[in-house]
Amino acid sequence: MNAFSTFARLAWIASCVLVVATTTSPAADKVIKIGGLLPMSGPGSYFGAQDKQGIELALDQLNKSGVNGYKFEIQYEDSACSPLPASQAAKRLIDQYKPDVLIGEECSDATLAIMPIVEQAKIPLINAGSSSIKITDPGNPWTFRIMPNEVMQGVDIATNAYKRLNARTAVLLHENTNAGIGNAQVFADTFTKLGGKVLADIGFGRDVNDFTAIATRIAGMGGVDVIPTYTLEGQGLKITQALMQAGVVKGGGGKAIQLGTIWLPFGFEQKAGKAALGYIRIVQFDPTDQRPQVRDFVQAFKAKFNLEPTHLNAHAYDQILLIADVVKRGGKDAQSIRDTLAQTKDFSGVTGSVEFDKTNQNVKMDTIHYMETKPDLSWTSLKWN
Amino acid sequence: MSKTSPNAAAQSRERRVWYLIAAVIVAALPLFVTDSYWRTNLIVCALNILLAIGLDFVLGYAGQLNLGQSAFYGLGAYSSTLLVLKLGLPFWAAFAIGTLMAGAAGALLSFFAVRLRGHYLAIASLGFAVIIYQILLNWISLTQGPLGIYGIAPPPTVAFPGLPQIAFGDLRNLFYLTAGFTLIVYVLLDQMVHSPIGETLTAIREDEVSAASLGIDGPKWKAFAFAVSSAAAGAAGCFYAPLVGTLVPDAFFVSESFMILAMVIVGGMGTLVGPVFGAVLLTILPEFLRSLGDMRLIIYGASVTLAVLFMPGGIVEAFHLLRHRLFPEGEMR
Amino acid sequence: MSSIVLQQAINGIVVGSLYVLVALGLTLIYGVLVQINFAHADIVTLGAFAAYGVTHLLSGNYLAGIAAALGLGAALGWLINAGIFVPLRERGSELLPLIATIGVSIMLQNAMLALLGPIPYAFDTPYSNQVIRLGTLFLTVQNVLIILVSGVSIALLYGFMKFTFLGKALRAVSQDRETAGLMGINPGHLIMLTFVIASALAGLSGAMLGPVLVLTPFAGTSVIVKAFAIVIIGGFGNVEGTILAGLLVGLIESYTTQFLDPGLIDIVVFALLLLTLAVRPTGLIAERREENV
Repeated sequence: MNAFSTFARLAWIASCVLVVATTTSPAADKVIKIGGLLPMSGPGSYFGAQDKQGIELALDQLNKSGVNGYKFEIQYEDSACSPLPASQAAKRLIDQYKPDVLIGEECSDATLAIMPIVEQAKIPLINAGSSSIKITDPGNPWTFRIMPNEVMQGVDIATNAYKRLNARTAVLLHENTNAGIGNAQVFADTFTKLGGKVLADIGFGRDVNDFTAIATRIAGMGGVDVIPTYTLEGQGLKITQALMQAGVVKGGGGKAIQLGTIWLPFGFEQKAGKAALGYIRIVQFDPTDQRPQVRDFVQAFKAKFNLEPTHLNAHAYDQILLIADVVKRGGKDAQSIRDTLAQTKDFSGVTGSVEFDKTNQNVKMDTIHYMETKPDLSWTSLKWN
Repeated sequence: MSKTSPNAAAQSRERRVWYLIAAVIVAALPLFVTDSYWRTNLIVCALNILLAIGLDFVLGYAGQLNLGQSAFYGLGAYSSTLLVLKLGLPFWAAFAIGTLMAGAAGALLSFFAVRLRGHYLAIASLGFAVIIYQILLNWISLTQGPLGIYGIAPPPTVAFPGLPQIAFGDLRNLFYLTAGFTLIVYVLLDQMVHSPIGETLTAIREDEVSAASLGIDGPKWKAFAFAVSSAAAGAAGCFYAPLVGTLVPDAFFVSESFMILAMVIVGGMGTLVGPVFGAVLLTILPEFLRSLGDMRLIIYGASVTLAVLFMPGGIVEAFHLLRHRLFPEGEMR
Repeated sequence: MSSIVLQQAINGIVVGSLYVLVALGLTLIYGVLVQINFAHADIVTLGAFAAYGVTHLLSGNYLAGIAAALGLGAALGWLINAGIFVPLRERGSELLPLIATIGVSIMLQNAMLALLGPIPYAFDTPYSNQVIRLGTLFLTVQNVLIILVSGVSIALLYGFMKFTFLGKALRAVSQDRETAGLMGINPGHLIMLTFVIASALAGLSGAMLGPVLVLTPFAGTSVIVKAFAIVIIGGFGNVEGTILAGLLVGLIESYTTQFLDPGLIDIVVFALLLLTLAVRPTGLIAERREENV
């Protein structure tokens, strides 16, 4: 009996300590938990690896002093750029980590697969990498996109190609992915409506490696004005070099102009060499931008990673900064973060500003810059926007 | 069984006890596994078991290496989904047709199995898988290609009179559906391999010429084994679509065939129960390793290699060896 | 138009030569062992990275890079044979080494991903952007190099197999292991030699395709499925057939791109594969291996 009462007393004290511990700790460190759904295995890790760098930098900076008494914490899951692994990763994060807000995925297929899950769990998802229109149209109330979608980008590029470059013929080059096909389609529709002619629409898988045959085919068409190209860095490099070798683009003595979207990083020109001459592309993050916050970001990024930041680094950084901004404006849990996010009016990040429309699509186009590659491989801004 | 020796009767009784145990495990699992992440994992396990025992039937018993399993998986998923979306068929009709179509495609592929063996058949089936994958990818007007199909609804709610409705949007019910179906297929296959059919298939595996001299119609039985195997994969595909809600061709890339093959080999080829363990292990292991970050798939790959090196007969053989070592005298059977 | 047809022929031969280099190793191992090394693709990738690393360290010495790739490939071949194929040999199953090397492949690919990152490397050799032009025809010096290296390696391999004692012994082992044993040849050593040669070829092909293809940890994987197709179309274990089939697939690739659509390349290649298997199960050049037909 005596032993039992000693045990009971001990248990009672222990539980008191536990209660005190659990009730006092939140005051010391209120935490906003962020779930990061990033592709970290397979070829999609191209995105995840760079996203992580931007996120780590942002968290380092924010957690020095916190925001409104909140610190930020992140847990990553590998969503592998593919629907089933992505929904597994999302469920795991939601069930076990119980985040207040999620960021990710990059690939449209994966994002679209995650969306019903976050809607059901009522946790906001901030996306900065998937361009498919379906993500916000129809979309759902819990999914937000801070970069321009395929329609916004495609209409703008096609219009500028027709009106400013006086292009009348185009050959479309795109990877056979959701984003590649979608972007090319929007360009084709807009360009044709304006009176231009699409000579060929050439899609290829991500496993296609040699582009000489495609460049040869384009060279054989003759009289191509613009070549809108929708690929990632690796294939993009090979395409540009093959087009140069085939004498199609300016770098190879031809006349055609390659057009690109925000898919390619800063530094692409240096890797591609003189083949990139005359390449006109949209950049959504311009590391030479003179706004103080961009200069600070570039400097801090170089100090931490000894690298030039890419648009992927910058987008990921902005996602975290946007969350911090929402917390500053009173967001503290999933529901309030969602509601505050939706009211975002003029958040200003390193990639540009953010204001959501009814579908949670960022409507600001202010940092879509058109850049042309000069002979010394630097950029010149075309000031088209 | 035609010849009911007392031993065979005892074995068949023992098998029935195991079926019952398996059914109890299936029934009990969702009671312990309550979060949606692990329930989804359980469903994925059930689908992979279906794929693996299907492959084992044609590989382990009939001796035909079929690397087309990813294609049949995809055929089932896409045909059932498209039948619902484009023709408005009810899910269960689409399920039946999708499964049959995959089975028919398998029977068609067995045309090659009649002429080829070993690696040649493996590569022919791999080629078939590549072609199906490419068709799913390129026939955009039908399959949406890489644009994908989204928002695929769960199977329709079932209502039995006097019982509460069963909605398959609930992962628990979807688990019972898929695991229950998988168990039924397992029992059917298990009965089949312990019947004269199994003996016929094994005879073809061991020596086709002498099998023919016994009057066994090799091509017909190969077609049968292929059809059963690929129909199982097709059925798994029919469940895949409503589980994930999204279809893109990449889910059915040929690498999936190799993973299914790995499940069979790691579990123990030609035992039917082996692939069950292999499928569970290779499905759950990468999930358990998630906290390891970059190291996750490195360790996963190493585990597959080590499993083959140190348990070349698969989990089942390793288990028997272990049991022998622990109970050297205790004859269990 | 005819110049385009000619240009696409050149493109096809260049790509085909690369495929031949990758496929030769696979076919050699199959010819001797009747087994498949699934990690062959990753040896190609590692060869490409070794060549990249050494070329850059030695400020543009591509030759040293090629040598490094050959060496690394040979070492990996030795390791994979000793670590996987030898211990599994007595089980006599063709599937066990296949699955074990799938594991190795997953491991290597993800180890490369962790160490080297997923961002594509720009591997420019001194030759990759030098373009030779003949009228409208064009060809980079790198591509000329690819054709030359493939041609020379094929010739060397062929000479080795036909005219040296070891080569004859290898062929003896591939045809009949027991007789080879009676001839006083240790089959184990010969199998090791086969692996080393085949993997050195894989490393070499990595060094050659690194500057041409997208250099990431997945570079080898993107060509391996086609290499399998080539090995089959040419007839497993048949060197001449592999060469012919490799060039054929390269040409199919460039002409499909020109006249159809690059998205259809795999369909055409694998339809050809199934057709080959249906009509001539032994491959383009018949050399009957009864056990497989």
